[in-house]
Amino acid sequence: MAWKRNLPYLALLIAILFPIFVRDPYFLHAAIMILFSAYLASSWNIIGGLAGQHSFGHSAFLGIGAYSSTLLLLYLNIPPFLGMILGGMIASLVSIGIGYPCFKLRGPYFALSTLAFTEIFRIVVTTTETIGGIDLRGAAGILIPLRKGNSFLNFQFADKTFYYYIILAMLFLILFIYKRMEKSRLGIFLSAIRDNEEAARSLGISATRYKMIALIVSGFFGATAGTFYAQFFLYIEPILFSSALSIEILLVAIVGGAGTLTGPLIGALMLTPVSEMTRAYLGGTYAGVQLILYGAILVAVMMFAPQGIVPPLSRRYRSLFERRA
Amino acid sequence: MFSLIEATIGGILMGGLYGFIAVSLSLIFGVAKIVNFAHGALLMVAMFFVYWILVLLKIDPYLAALLAAAFLFFFGYFFQNFFIEPILKREKETAPLTVILLTSGLMLMLENIALLLFGADYRMVKTSYTGKSWSVGGMMIIQPRMIGFLLSLILVFLLELYLRKTNLGRAIRATSQDREAARLMGIDDYRVYKIVFGIGTTMLGFAGSFLSSFYYIHPAIGEIFVLKSFVIVVLGGLGSISGALLAGIIVGVIESLGAQFMNSAMTESLIFIIFIAFLVVKPTGLLGKRRE
Repeated sequence: MAWKRNLPYLALLIAILFPIFVRDPYFLHAAIMILFSAYLASSWNIIGGLAGQHSFGHSAFLGIGAYSSTLLLLYLNIPPFLGMILGGMIASLVSIGIGYPCFKLRGPYFALSTLAFTEIFRIVVTTTETIGGIDLRGAAGILIPLRKGNSFLNFQFADKTFYYYIILAMLFLILFIYKRMEKSRLGIFLSAIRDNEEAARSLGISATRYKMIALIVSGFFGATAGTFYAQFFLYIEPILFSSALSIEILLVAIVGGAGTLTGPLIGALMLTPVSEMTRAYLGGTYAGVQLILYGAILVAVMMFAPQGIVPPLSRRYRSLFERRA
Repeated sequence: MFSLIEATIGGILMGGLYGFIAVSLSLIFGVAKIVNFAHGALLMVAMFFVYWILVLLKIDPYLAALLAAAFLFFFGYFFQNFFIEPILKREKETAPLTVILLTSGLMLMLENIALLLFGADYRMVKTSYTGKSWSVGGMMIIQPRMIGFLLSLILVFLLELYLRKTNLGRAIRATSQDREAARLMGIDDYRVYKIVFGIGTTMLGFAGSFLSSFYYIHPAIGEIFVLKSFVIVVLGGLGSISGALLAGIIVGVIESLGAQFMNSAMTESLIFIIFIAFLVVKPTGLLGKRRE
């Protein structure tokens, strides 16, 4: 029992020590991408897992975050760390606008309407060159000017290790918040809504209100991931709003296990190395191989473990421990 | 004014094909309650199928339509049989969401396999009638569009006839109205789903062939059609064949008229906005019956 309780701390210790022992930039980059997609999928997990509303529009928040902080930086010289918070707030406001119509719908209809929303964003941003004096640059995307050295003020680091620890801290924070939400009154209401919305409503739970809270929180953190993306790659483009990216985000969470704390992390640990490896070994010519594998994994998981990988695993281990005890 | 009439006619013709594709989606959605995200990808498969038959065997797209339709019937039937049916049998409540994700996975696979095999080039089918048009009262009507439109109408009519006059057609309608009651009457609902999925993909085989003679072919072409088809299904009213056809034509006309006044991207988002508005305000659509 003891080592099982300490397993999270051990994992955290390994994660903290990782860049000290692994100096190879390629592996460090891959590790950052794993943590990033775990973070992004965890932010989806609040609306998609905890509240059970499978949103196909999460990339809208990612795009809003990336574009907000970048434009605030370029036009008002607002430091990206502050821009991250502001971008999150903008995304939260937008999420109210998205949630208001979409929460009237259930299941497949909810999925389709959120997908339509993110497509509207993608189309508008792709075709808008300037709006009110602000250059969006349409499909070409925006470059963030490179600064020298390591600076928290500019959120730019020559040493990638900084990015690693930032995204690690962000992931730790969102997992902590998820855990707190899950155990709170709100989390209990949300899981009641997820399991049976009619029953929850009949008990006097205002389903729309709680789903809206989950979407606001989810949108906020999704947008912060967008700022991280923008500052890490120093380049943003309308693809960030694409529905294909939305599907990739929810894929990570669902393969791991939607509605479980560690699901998005496990999903990212499994899927992101696949995409990083195909990119490294096959290069740009076989760009689609990664997505073929993703598609196959998604089909296989839906066929054999529709709850994701985490629930059956944890069940198996729990029974193992109970027998020994 | 003149160009507006021409645009309207162009929109009606294209809209007929949109409607035809949406009818096939609506059938699967309405009867089997399956949200088929791979619908557009399957259309793409049909278009490449027709393209390669023309290139390799020199068979005309309208003849190849029959081959594509037969191929896609079996694809749809077996996909339903081996992939979707086990999920429907296993879970009752959460099945729609699991199936959405399953078909999303299929879409990712099909699109990227096509990208790997055929590359990202835009291809065109070259036939003797490609780019030809009739001139009616000074207006240009593109021939393959007109032919595709008329054939689509005929096929929808045949489908309607099939659903009304044959035993299997009646079984399909009964299942779509009430699954449990249909089962009590001795209808094998899982067999109905397989056939419905097969019919839906068969129609895609035809639609792909009609489209290929005037539209470009590309691995991601399905994405253009799949969301639009869902929009049309909802606008027309779930399970209503004539509604889907009508809504398809409306969307086609909005698109081609909108292109006269604003850029095409704005008309595309306008269609999505109408979609969301309809879902919220009138989820039964234009001609749909009330759901409980």
